[in-house]
Amino acid sequence: MLRASAAAEAAGIPSSSLVCEGFLGQGATTSVGLGLPNLPMAKVPGHVDTQTDNELRQNLISVTVREVIENLTAVPPAAVMVPEPGPRDVILEGSFEEINRFFYENDWSDGLPIVPPTRGKIEGFLDFTDLPAGHAIGKLPPDNRQATVWNVAVNGVMAGCRPQYMPVLIALAEAMADPVYGVEHSGNTPGAETLITINGPIIKDLDFNYEQGVLRDGFQANTAIGRWWRLYLRNVAGFLPHQTDKGTFGNTWRVVLAENEDVLARIGWPPLSADFGHNRGENAVVISRYTGGDVITSVFGKKPEEMLPYLADALISQTGWQLIFTVGMADGGYSPLLILSPILAETIAKAGWSKDDVRQWLFENARISAAKFEQYIGEFTNLLSGGRSLYELARLGKANKVFGESDDPGRLVPIVCEARDIQIAVSGDPGRTNAQVFSHNGILGYPTSRAIRLPGDWRNKLAAVE
Amino acid sequence: MNENSYAALWPRGEKTVQITPLAPRLDTLNGKTVAFLWDYLFRGDEIFPILESELSAAYPDMRFVGYEVFGSTHGTDEGQILADLSQTMAEHKVDAIISGMGC
Repeated sequence: MLRASAAAEAAGIPSSSLVCEGFLGQGATTSVGLGLPNLPMAKVPGHVDTQTDNELRQNLISVTVREVIENLTAVPPAAVMVPEPGPRDVILEGSFEEINRFFYENDWSDGLPIVPPTRGKIEGFLDFTDLPAGHAIGKLPPDNRQATVWNVAVNGVMAGCRPQYMPVLIALAEAMADPVYGVEHSGNTPGAETLITINGPIIKDLDFNYEQGVLRDGFQANTAIGRWWRLYLRNVAGFLPHQTDKGTFGNTWRVVLAENEDVLARIGWPPLSADFGHNRGENAVVISRYTGGDVITSVFGKKPEEMLPYLADALISQTGWQLIFTVGMADGGYSPLLILSPILAETIAKAGWSKDDVRQWLFENARISAAKFEQYIGEFTNLLSGGRSLYELARLGKANKVFGESDDPGRLVPIVCEARDIQIAVSGDPGRTNAQVFSHNGILGYPTSRAIRLPGDWRNKLAAVE
Repeated sequence: MNENSYAALWPRGEKTVQITPLAPRLDTLNGKTVAFLWDYLFRGDEIFPILESELSAAYPDMRFVGYEVFGSTHGTDEGQILADLSQTMAEHKVDAIISGMGC
């Protein structure tokens, strides 16, 4: 909404942005990143979703209209640039405690102790990439700061990463900067958190946990790289709670999910990264934002037909308002993740089922009534206004045709547009019959991947630090 | 610097966007064309008609361009819609915009 206003201002057209009262602070900090710190906003008192028609009307008439007129006709005070340090400036010399307090007070840390990013530590990380330190990876909204190899390393030091994690961190920064991912949405109110998935021999090279407790902290590669992601969002993209990050509740950063490639090789299933064009055996990361999910405990059955109904039910139960990414805000942008423990994947594969077979079965069976679907995207949330049915939306070309096969509100419709929208990974305790579903944040964190590029002489460098 | 002292470097990145001036404001809204831009969220379809009615009462010669001319500014098409915005505004002779809803 502010990006639209900024685009208008850049074209020489004055703007007024309508902002609910609780979002004026986020608007002000986001405007700085857009290069328009004085971008005018018109307050809408309270939050519109809980107001009666009359309350809304009165609020607009008594407050908003006057501010709109002022926004478009009065010249606001000139904006001034606040000077900042240079990317390689020493900002404080002091003890461990002094550095930590200073970083915390300046919003540069998450509240846990950080490793002071000294030049020597940073250079140790730079040894693990062939890219120059100043290499520009991309610019990251909302602050629109430059992501570079240098500041990837600085935040890697701070997060407690080891220098040899650097190739993974660079790949993650590249994925974060990919417009397909949509990092600019990382401060939206659902407060989704990114899950990083990693594939390839680097899982063993860096000693990632890929078995029991894979999503638990306590394994340095999984944990520190997960923490790095959130520090990088904070320091380079510029997402700060109470400012640009408006997650209503939020999540703590997630540790990295490493797939169990031994099991995948044994059963002949491709890794998650293969769904994004990477070859089996290639080092790669996939990032995606998830609002939540649940463990699906004790999947009972000796063959796929007995196990999959429970998993389909789990996909349904973990999907509600997110259907706005299947129809409404996007068409085909909802992409939930199902993590199977190895024993589940092995049992299903033993019956001759491929990963695509599982996906197709889930697509055809994880279905809800059209009426329920319409409630989630319309009646319950008003995220899709206008009250059109799925049938009408499909007929108008605003929804995938699979939603328009009839106008019976009781008909069953899928929760995604195509089978391939259901992601499947294999990890966790090899001997326990549990699964996990992550409900996805759609185009506001769309699955995005990058290959991990190792430096020359990787093996010797790795041996030297181990 | 002793062994218990650290010289810590700045953890952020350089800003890629410099401060740019706002567009010139209008001397009056009377006789001007104002476009509504909408992210298709938070009751904009109810809010814009109220604004149009109130502004028209204050400035009888104002003209309005509806949000449907532009499409949703928040969603899959955002990038293309914003890339085309300058041209779309020119085609409709837009003098100012009102963009919602930030909630």
